[in-house]
Amino acid sequence: MSSNLTVARTLLAVAGALVGLYGAVRLIGLGWGNLVATLPWLAGVVVAHDALLAPLVVLVGAAAAGRLPRWSRRAAVVVLVVLGPVTLLAVPTLGKFGAKADNPTLLDRQYVAGWVAVTGLVLLAAALLAVHDRGKGAPRG
Amino acid sequence: MSGTRVTDVLTRLIDAVPTEKDFGSTARSRELSARVGTWLGVCFLVAFLTGVWSHLAQLPDPLLPLPTRPIWLYRLTQGLHIAAGTAAVPLLLVKLWSVFPQLFRRPPAQTRARLLDGAERLSIAVLVSSALFQLVTGLANSAQWYPWSFSFRSTHFALGWVAMGSLLVHIAVKLPVIRQAWLRPQDVPGPGVVSRRTLLRATWAAAGVAVVTSAVSGVPGVRRLSVLATRSGTGPGGIPINKTAAAAGVTHQATDPAFALAVTWNGTERHLSLADLRAMPQTTATLPIACVEGWSASGTWSGVRIADLLKLVGAPTGAAVLVESLQRGGASSHSRLPGNVAADSRAILALALASEPLSLDHGFPCRVIAPNRPGALQTKWVNRLEAQA
Repeated sequence: MSSNLTVARTLLAVAGALVGLYGAVRLIGLGWGNLVATLPWLAGVVVAHDALLAPLVVLVGAAAAGRLPRWSRRAAVVVLVVLGPVTLLAVPTLGKFGAKADNPTLLDRQYVAGWVAVTGLVLLAAALLAVHDRGKGAPRG
Repeated sequence: MSGTRVTDVLTRLIDAVPTEKDFGSTARSRELSARVGTWLGVCFLVAFLTGVWSHLAQLPDPLLPLPTRPIWLYRLTQGLHIAAGTAAVPLLLVKLWSVFPQLFRRPPAQTRARLLDGAERLSIAVLVSSALFQLVTGLANSAQWYPWSFSFRSTHFALGWVAMGSLLVHIAVKLPVIRQAWLRPQDVPGPGVVSRRTLLRATWAAAGVAVVTSAVSGVPGVRRLSVLATRSGTGPGGIPINKTAAAAGVTHQATDPAFALAVTWNGTERHLSLADLRAMPQTTATLPIACVEGWSASGTWSGVRIADLLKLVGAPTGAAVLVESLQRGGASSHSRLPGNVAADSRAILALALASEPLSLDHGFPCRVIAPNRPGALQTKWVNRLEAQA
C-alpha cells in the first residue's frame, strides 16, 4: 500500500471519528427524554431492514432465480429494483398519515392513481425488455 | 431442559445460520458495491452539506451574515437536500443488498483480527442505523407525519453528523477496495442469471424514477410529474400552506378590525393599522417560499419594505429586526432578520399575494417575505417588529 493512501485513510478516519462524535454529543445534548425516544428508532430501522426487508428480498430473488425463464430475468430485476424503493418512498403519501383536515394543500394529489400510473409504466418498460430479450434468445442477463 | 441440550440446540441453530458463502447471486461484487456506494456517498454528502447550510440559515444570529442574493439559493439547496435524500433510498437498498452476506461472515479466529472485525462491524452498525434513520425521518417529515416523540429538526441534524462521520470512517476502511474496484474492475462472467450491468442500470433507473415522482414538485414545468410528492406545489395565490391560521390558533386575532402592527426602536413605538400599512408606498417582488420540508413555490408579493417601516421609528439602516407573530409558542412564532436582510430592498412586510389581499392561511393581515430565506423564517400574522441595535 502506498504511503499516500495510508495518509488519506488516516485523515478520513480521524475526520470521520470527530464528525461522528460531534453528532453524538449533539444528540446527547438534546436531553435524556429525546435520546430515549430516538434509540428505538435507531435500532428499529436496522431490524426492519436486516431482519425483515433484506431476507424477504433474498427469498424472492432465490425463488425467482429458480422459476422464471431466462428471458424474463432482466425484466424481473427492473420491476423489483425500481418499484420496490419507489413504493417504499410512497408509503407516507399513499397512507396520507400526515394529512390535516384544515390544510388542503398538504398531501393533495391522487396518490393511488399516481402509484398505479408509475407501476403501469415500469411494468410496460419491463415487458418490452422481456420481449426484446426473448427475441434475442435469452441473453446471459 | 438440561444444560447439554440447550448447548446442542444452540449449536444446531448456529449451524443453521447461513454464512456469506450461502448467498448465490454473482451480481454481488465489490465492483457493484463500490459503484453504487460511491454515488450513495455523493448523495449523503450533498444532503449533509445542504442540511448544515439550512441549519446555518435558520440561526437567529449568524456569525457571518448569509447573503440575500441569489434569491433562489435556499430554494435550490433545499431542493437538492430532498432530491439527494430521495435518490439515496434505492441506492442504499441496493448497496445493502450487495453486501448483505457480509452480515453473516464468521469472525476471524485470531484475537487482533477479531477485534478489528468487531470495530468495523460496530462502525457499520452506526452507519447503517443513522443512514436509514435519516432517510426514514426525513421522508416522514416532508409529509408532516411524526409517529415519534423526539424533536425532528434537532435529532435529524445531530444524526446527520453521525451518518457523515461513520461514512467517512467506512470510506477510510474500504478505500483500497474502492480504489481497486474502480481502477481495476474484475469482470467475473460466471453462471449468474443477472449481470452487474443489468443491476446497475436498474439502480440508476430507480434513483431517477424516485426523484422525478417524489422530489421535483418545486420545479416549475415538471412538477406535474411528481405524482407521489407530498404537495402538488399550489394553493391560494399559487403557494401551498404549511400551517393554517386555525392550526396556529390566530384566526380571531388576525381578523380583528382593531389589529395594529407595533414597530419599535429604542423606546420609540408606532402602531399602524392595516389601512395605515396600505397607505404607505408599496413594493412588489417575485420571491420564492422554500420550506424546510422540501416544497417550494414562487409568488408575487406586495407590501411595505421593512426598511421603510424602520425609518418611521428612526431605526438606523442595518439594524436587525425581531419579528413577532400573533401565533403563541412554536418555532415559527417569531424570527429575526439580520441587519443585511432587514435592509434589503426586497425584504417586505407583505399585504398581498398575486394581487389579492393575503389569505388568512398565508399570514393575513401581514407577513414577512425576504429573499434567500428558509420558509420557517418567513413569519406569518406579524404583529410586532422590534429593531435591535
